[in-house]
This record gives sequence, structure tokens and C-alpha cells, in this order.
Amino acid sequence: MSLIDFFIDPVLRGPTWGTLFMCIASGLIGSVLLLRKKTLLAESLSHAAYPGVILGVSLFALAFPAHEEWAFVSVLAGASFSAFLALKGIEWLMRRKVSPDAALCFILAVFFGAGIVAASSMQSQLPSWHQKTQMLLFGQAATMTGIHVALYGGLALSIALFFLLMYRPLQSVLFDRDFSSLLGLNVKWLERLIFCLLLASLIVGIRSVGVILMSGMIIAPAVAARQFTHHLHRMFFLASFFGALSGLLGNFLSIWGSMYLSTETERMTLPTGPSIVLVGSCFAFLSLLFAPQRGLVSRLFRIGAFRLRRLEENILKYFWKKGTLSRKILHETLHVPMWALFLVLRRLKKQGWIEGAYSLTPDGMKRAASIVRLHRLWELYLTEQLKLETGKVHKTAEEMEHILTPDLEERLTHLLGAPTQDPHQQPIPEKSRFP
Amino acid sequence: MSPYWGANFFEFFFLFFTRLFHSVWSQPATDEIQIGVLCMTAISCGLIGPFLVLRKMTMFANSLSHTVLLGIAGTIFFFGKETPFDLTHLLVGALLAAFLTALLTEGLIKGFRLQEDASIGLVFTSLFALGIVFVTLFTKDLHLGLESVVGNVDALKLSDFRASTLLALLNLSLITLFYRQFQIGSFDRGLAKTLSSCSSLFHYLLLFLTSVTCIGAFRAIGVILVLAFLVGPYLTARLFFHRLKPLLVASVLLGCLASLLGVAFSRHLLTTFGLPLSTGGLVVCFIGLLYVLSYIVKKIYRSGMLLTKAHD
Repeated sequence: MSLIDFFIDPVLRGPTWGTLFMCIASGLIGSVLLLRKKTLLAESLSHAAYPGVILGVSLFALAFPAHEEWAFVSVLAGASFSAFLALKGIEWLMRRKVSPDAALCFILAVFFGAGIVAASSMQSQLPSWHQKTQMLLFGQAATMTGIHVALYGGLALSIALFFLLMYRPLQSVLFDRDFSSLLGLNVKWLERLIFCLLLASLIVGIRSVGVILMSGMIIAPAVAARQFTHHLHRMFFLASFFGALSGLLGNFLSIWGSMYLSTETERMTLPTGPSIVLVGSCFAFLSLLFAPQRGLVSRLFRIGAFRLRRLEENILKYFWKKGTLSRKILHETLHVPMWALFLVLRRLKKQGWIEGAYSLTPDGMKRAASIVRLHRLWELYLTEQLKLETGKVHKTAEEMEHILTPDLEERLTHLLGAPTQDPHQQPIPEKSRFP
Repeated sequence: MSPYWGANFFEFFFLFFTRLFHSVWSQPATDEIQIGVLCMTAISCGLIGPFLVLRKMTMFANSLSHTVLLGIAGTIFFFGKETPFDLTHLLVGALLAAFLTALLTEGLIKGFRLQEDASIGLVFTSLFALGIVFVTLFTKDLHLGLESVVGNVDALKLSDFRASTLLALLNLSLITLFYRQFQIGSFDRGLAKTLSSCSSLFHYLLLFLTSVTCIGAFRAIGVILVLAFLVGPYLTARLFFHRLKPLLVASVLLGCLASLLGVAFSRHLLTTFGLPLSTGGLVVCFIGLLYVLSYIVKKIYRSGMLLTKAHD
């Protein structure tokens, strides 16, 4: 079974393409919800779709018991009906000053309870149909066929098309709602349209991910995409990409897991929903950790690099003031652990700023002098231009000396008229060019 | 043979109250055990729910109610799948789930600077998915996963009643013992912080109690429906009361009322229509119905008051 088989094999291609389309749609809608900080709405609505699904299928089973292959139409209709009802219920509760989270929870639980009652009645009246609706809780992509794929693909395509055509208005509504209504955009209608698309993507997802985990598929690709970019169009693109990837891998995991679990006598299935959501969450957690700009690792690295530079510059400055120093004295005055000092001093030596048992090289002298120059310039700026008292300026200068850029230094020199003395009557070192 | 066999809605109550003074305690019928477990769950939830809603933590409770499945998977992993869900195992599972959920969610918010709603959603969906996969792998049976979501009131035994009573007593004693701390923490977190150094301890205690309650209720009503017990009675009580103590009492009573009505109605449907419906689901429907009814009653009451005032 090669990778291409998943796309063209008549049995395997249905689930593959179906989950692919569905995950692209949920990734797109998820980015909108994430930026509006309303991702938990998806959680509530997807649970609330359950009673509609059950009622829809029951009615269908009573009306057309022979046309089972068309039952998914009733799933779609029922799910959208009850999710819409839930949305109205949440809005109604929130208008009555129920806090949003309580309203979401209450509607979620009551609708799900109604769904369970409906399901239990179905279990006794239409047992064979009940079996099939049970899989909609956790999703079962394996039995998807061409009709499903066409329908779900069509829905996903229309969502993508909407995003493409309405990109500008969508962007302005997402980032500044009041401003866009001032521009004359019909914000209300656009938001209604977004909710319709949310409903569409939720009910498309019910088949392959299931009502309980659908919100995971809305959130995870969007979170992963948000880590990599600040641009809306790239976020949409990345979210659908992550969604598609987790759909494919999750589907594969589910098929593989089912084969692994099944014995010759007993057929077991690993439901599709949990596997897709697991893969999607893995992507989200990995991007939270390792994304280049916003990831935790790179952020910690940036913080660490800055602290290291500050320590190095403080040590150089100290040498400049005191001449030759041993490691022990540095340890006692700067309160830095011995091992850290050892590493930093070795690094400084390698870069050629210090030599011997610790005194500055000529290059190191220049570097240290430039740091002291920044410190004293800033002190002078604070006392002369901002009229701060002389006793208060040292502390901020201690911070600023590590942050000031050469450009700022030039401006300060110009502003203060190339000064030679700082407010404490200490000389300000000459500006020196060091390599 | 259940003594309630063939009883309709009103006969059920008549029988229940007559039996309450005779044989309930010596030979409880299934329906009575159901009522007992559901009422104990209602007490636990009614005591915790108001604090959760006031602290705007219900979505976190939703998260916990999903992740206890991972705790259940953990207990199956450690103690084997044949162990009945007795109290110690439940506590271990609840502790595991609450700890993991709280740690991950707060880690995402503070360490990764992810927005709150997305952190909650990401953590519980992934942990729930993991729980489902583990339960399926350990037990080679998808049924347990399904049952933990929807609950199964009909399988309750006397031991479940004992466990849920103990849980209710635990909740009751801790809430009464630390009532003041919980109250202050719910209304003014800043004040609670200035008054005592361990205000966040009570935050985590509340999380733990929620987790224990969710996991304790999962046999009866399933992990998701517990949410209705946590939020619904409080919202209903809130329509009429504005002080915390009456709110707590009313939430507990409303939860118990919904449980009674649900079990009775389920029996009624079975008797008159031969329809075996999920009792847990019916109870939750009654919680929803009670809210709507209370809302209407309040509206009528208010408009009546306005009319009489206009006459004066």
C-alpha cells in the first residue's frame, strides 16, 4: 500500500479526500475564530449539533427506509438546524446578562443531553440506524464514498472561495470592527455569513472527526498557523495547509491503528476523529515550541542572548574601572555564580577583549570605553534634557547602556553638544572605532 | 422485579414517598439507587457550580470534564480494566487529570502566551483524543469510551451510591469549612490575595473538587452532561436569588428536583409507551426545562407586579 494508493484506490480515496477537504475548511474558519477569540463557540456548537443529527436521521429513516445512502443529507440538515438553534440560544442567554462562558456551557450540555435522549429512543426503535449514528460521536471516515467527497469538497471549496472573494472586507472586520462599519461595510451581514460558514464547516467535520472533537480541528491548525506569521493571508494559507496535513496523517494513523488492533476473529476500529485531532495538536504544540519568531524556544534563546550580552558588557565595564581583577573578586562584587563567570570569561578571552588572569586588551579597552560612554551620555541626557535629579539617573543608565544603538548615540552626542563630562563630573570617553 | 414496574409519573412519586419511610433503606430498587446517585451528584455540582460560574471558569470545567477521560484511561492502565471504579482509583484519576489539565492550560497561557480560549480548547481536545485512543488501546473496546461520554444510569449499583455519597460529603465539608475563602475568592480575587497568602490554593482546591465530581459522575451521567448539573441549576437559581447562600441551597435543590423528575419521567415513558430512554439525558433536559419555566414564571411574576403597582 503506497502513498499514492491513498488518493486513487477506490476504497481508500473516499476517506482521504473527504478528510482533506474537511480539514482545509475547518482550518480556514478556525483562523477567523482564533483572531476573534471565539474558538470555544465551535466547541459548543459542535456538541449542540448532536440532537439535530439524531433527529434528522430518525426522520429520514422513518420516511425513506430504503435509501440509506442518502442519509447524510439528513445529517447535514439536522445538524445545521440544531446548531443554528444553539447559536440563537447562546445569543439569547448572553443578552440576559449570563456570562458568555456559562451560556456556552449550559447550551452545550442541555443540547447534548437532548441528543442522548433522542439517541436512546432511536436505539430502541431503529437499532440498525442507531449503530450508524453512534460513529458520528467520534467520527468514522472509512465509509465515505464519492457522493460524500463531492459534497464535502463542494462545501470546502465554497468556504475557500468566500475567503478569496471577501478577503478585504474580512480583513478589516477582523482587525477593526468599528472602523469597518464606519467605512460602510455591512458588518452584521458579514458576521452572519461567517457564522453560516462556521456551521457548514462544523457539519462537514461531523462525519470524519465527530461532534465531540470537532472543535479541536477548528483550533489546532489555526494556533499552529498563527505562530509563523503576522499576515492574514499567510495565516489562512498555513492554517489550511496544517489542517490538510493533519487530516491526511490522521486518516493514515486511524487506518494503520485499526489494522494493528484488529485480530483475525475481531474487527476493531480506531476512530478517525481522535487520530486527526492528535496529529493536529502535535503540529500546534510543535509550532508553539519551535516557531522561529513566536516559539517558546526562540523566545527563551533571545532572552538568554540578551542576558549574556548584558553580563559581558558589565564585566568589561568593571575591568575598565578597576584594571586587573581575579575571578573571585568578580564573583563577590557582581554576584554571578562561579561557573557562569568561568564560561563568560573564556568567551571574552576567545573574542580578544581580555587577556592573562584577566585584564583588558587594547581592543577590550576601546569596547569597554564605548559602553561607559553610552552610560554617561544617557545620564547627561536625563539630567540636562529631562531635568531629572542627578542621584536618580544611574539606575536607568545601567539598563540603557545595553540597548542604545550607534545611531542613537550619534543623535545624543549631537543633541548634548559633544560633551566631555557627565553629571557626576566624570569624563565621558571619546567615541572610538573598534573593529 | 422492580416495585416501580408499571408505575406512571404520579404513581411513581406516590410509591417513592411511601417507600421512603419503609423499604428504601433495606432493599433499594434500581430507580431509587438512580435517584440517590443523581441527587448526590446534584449536591456536589450544586455546591461547586456557583463558584465556577462566578469565577468565569465554566469553560475550564468543560475542559476538565473532557480530560477526566484521560484520568480514567490512566486508572485502567495502572489498576487493570476489571477494577470497579471505586473511590481511591477515582481520586487518583481525578488528580491526574486535573493536574495535567491545569498545568498545561496555564503553561500555554503564561509560558507560550497563547490566548486563553485557544489554550483551553487545544489542551482538552488533545487530551480527550489521547484518552479515547488509550482507552481503545487498553481495553480493545470502544464501548467504554462511548459510555463515559454519555453515561449509563441503568448500570448503577449500590457501590456507586456509596461513592457518590462520599464525594458529596467531601464537597459539602470542604465548601462549608472554607466557605469564606471560596466566597471572597469568587467575588474579589485581589482582596483574597491581600487577605491571605494561599488564595491560589483554594483556586486549585476548587479545580480538584470539580475534577473529582466530574469523574465521580461519569458512570451515572457521563462526563459531558455533568456540565449541565454544574451550570444549569445555578443559572436557574440566579433568576430568583441574589445572595450566595440561598443560591447554593437553591442550586442543590433544583438539581435534586430535576433528578427526581427525570427518573420518574423515564419510568413513566417506559410504562405507558414502552420507550426506554436515557435517564441521564432526560435529567439534563429537565434542568434545561426548569430554566425556561423559571424564566417564564419570573416574567409573569414581574409583569404582575408591574400591573398591581400601576393600579395603585
